[in-house]
Amino acid sequence: MASLRTWLAERAPVGEILDFLRHKHVPQHRYSLFYYAGGAALFFFLVQVVTGALLLMYYRPSAGEAYESVQFIMARVPFGWLVRSIHSWSANLMVGVVFVHLFSVLFLKAYRRPRELTWMSGMLLLGLVLAFGFTGYLLPWNQLAFFATRVGTEIPGSIPVIGQPIVHLLRGGPDVTGGTLTRFFGVHVAILPGIVTVLLAVHVLLVQRHGMSTPPSIEGEIRASGRPAKSLPFLPHYVLHDLFGWTLALALLAALSAFYPWELGTKADVFAPAPAGIRPEWYFLWMFQTLKLVPAKVLGLEGEFVAVVAFGLGGLAMFFLPLIDRDTRTSRRVVSWTAAALVLYMIAMTAMVLRGGGQ
Amino acid sequence: MTPRRLFALVCGLVGSVAALSAQSPNPAVSVDQARALFQNDVHQAAGLTCAACHDQTHGDQYAAPARASIPKLCGGCHSNAAYMKAFNPQLRVDQLARYLTSTHGKEINKGELRVAVCSDCHGAHGIYPVKDPRAPVYPTNVANTCAKCHADAARMTPFNKPSTPPADWAASVHARALLVRGDTSAPTCSTCHGSHGAAPPEIENVALVCAQCHVREAELFRKSPKKALFDTLSLPECVTCHSNHHIVEPQDSWLGFAGDVGCAKCHDESIGGADVIKSDRKSLDDLSAAIAAATDRLARAEQAGMIVDDGRAALREASDQRVLARVSMHAFALQPLADGAAKGLKAAQQAQAAADTALAEVQYRRKGLAVATIFIAGFLVTLGLKIRRLNRAD
Repeated sequence: MASLRTWLAERAPVGEILDFLRHKHVPQHRYSLFYYAGGAALFFFLVQVVTGALLLMYYRPSAGEAYESVQFIMARVPFGWLVRSIHSWSANLMVGVVFVHLFSVLFLKAYRRPRELTWMSGMLLLGLVLAFGFTGYLLPWNQLAFFATRVGTEIPGSIPVIGQPIVHLLRGGPDVTGGTLTRFFGVHVAILPGIVTVLLAVHVLLVQRHGMSTPPSIEGEIRASGRPAKSLPFLPHYVLHDLFGWTLALALLAALSAFYPWELGTKADVFAPAPAGIRPEWYFLWMFQTLKLVPAKVLGLEGEFVAVVAFGLGGLAMFFLPLIDRDTRTSRRVVSWTAAALVLYMIAMTAMVLRGGGQ
Repeated sequence: MTPRRLFALVCGLVGSVAALSAQSPNPAVSVDQARALFQNDVHQAAGLTCAACHDQTHGDQYAAPARASIPKLCGGCHSNAAYMKAFNPQLRVDQLARYLTSTHGKEINKGELRVAVCSDCHGAHGIYPVKDPRAPVYPTNVANTCAKCHADAARMTPFNKPSTPPADWAASVHARALLVRGDTSAPTCSTCHGSHGAAPPEIENVALVCAQCHVREAELFRKSPKKALFDTLSLPECVTCHSNHHIVEPQDSWLGFAGDVGCAKCHDESIGGADVIKSDRKSLDDLSAAIAAATDRLARAEQAGMIVDDGRAALREASDQRVLARVSMHAFALQPLADGAAKGLKAAQQAQAAADTALAEVQYRRKGLAVATIFIAGFLVTLGLKIRRLNRAD
């Protein structure tokens, strides 16, 4: 065993990495629980990679076979139902945890100097996670996903000049067809995983480089008390806490998959009329409802176009937030209230659709 | 008012009065209305003008054709194969010949002007092709078109005809198929009576008319012992049990001796074939009970998130066999109904077995989850203890 360690140490910086982790400490305070959201998101991503790889063995990305292949996985492949259900549940839980991670970082002001790049890489990862969800939703080729994708891919069409080319690019043609399915599949299993892997590595390395951020309020309390800041050794304490959370997440995934296997629905029929109650995945509902509520004309412009531009500007503002926020008491307060208003707005819009008010 | 407008008005009035006196079921129209309607007429699209049907009386004014002459007027073109070929090579050209064999045609030849002529059913100036859903002779509109005269008691009484058939048909399973389900192959008035050659089928022909669609039922009935008996008693075969216009969905309970439907219309339990009736009824009841049970269990399995396509396929097979078994009843014998019901029962049992397997799988998964939960809980407890020990050591 010792010789193996020596052999490895001569060839890879394992000792340095372990030393770094042994000396690394994580701040301990009343908001520490939120530190685990990032780890939980990573856990769900790893589950997605493993279950996605297993699904690839049987899934067939064509309009004629996609639905039947998922049906085969669910009904015939040993534990196929479990793998597919875990993949679907884990995808949704990952998006949920990513949002918790985003807003906890936002409220705790963890994006401040020198963590600007960590925040920006995180924002890009959020966009990629949503793209994973959007492309993955269509892959079972069922009725609801087909029409939701048709509605979703139509949205950029409201942008003048470049809108229709974008729609064409997304769909691989003027309408959602088997070509769109093949395109989404390629993006879902090759392009997105490649980009996410690189960005995730950068994000995690930056987190390790800068360590966990202590919220300004806690920093103030520490300064006022004059006592040293409490912390937790990363190895093994924090890692064991993380492992505890991951195991709980695994138990939750197993329970959800056993009691609520992910539905397959009916096969998409491109000639059928759109069924009632078409809607995207829950994490897009707030945008979906906004687009429905926006008036046809706003200041003489197409309402949908105005909403799309507003989403784009909002996304850009979020991305560049560390550069916009001057880190003063007032700016921190503005960011907190804006973030709270955004969370409330997203919840209210989502609730409106779920309660049927958006129909 | 110019003399020309006045003349047009007079012509219109004369035409209207003529139409009313002939008791056409359609409302009279003015010259202007006729011109407007003609803009959408299939004849206008084919390049015909007013002069094709109307005699020119003065300038560009035309007289309405005499009602009794309308069939021959239309037939002038529509019976001319060489002429019609230019417009539609597929169009039949025997409408007039068939009309003259119809009750309407025979009566009009006798000088009875209250019976239907071409324009009563097709319209006069706004005629659409038969395949156009706006046409009064499009399948979903035929019953209303016939009802204009045949539901009018005042119009039917002099001919000693009932005015109830349109209402009876509207309450039938055929009307539901055509008007509710939109199945344009479902029978309407003209399907059984004919269109241009419309006449009530004779008693001996009723079964032949029904057999146009109900092929298997008719075949079984013709080979059954009932055929000779019905012929002897001059009973109108299908109509005896199913009625003619007010045809409702047959029930399995008709195979029994209760009430005054089905077998009970003529028989009580003392007849020789009572055992056959009871046996057939039991076969169908057993099959229906098995289908209901399988349907219920498949729904439960699906609610639990299971995919039970095999079960659904077996259930469809059971339902198909039940349809065949019900049709087989027209043999008025134990077979082939018993065979069909047995096949259906077997399929229903397969469907139920598929549902039971799926429900057992649900239980298996939950037990598996319970076992996994024990392991996970054990691991969590171990982790918790380890973390606690570390905290104490600090």
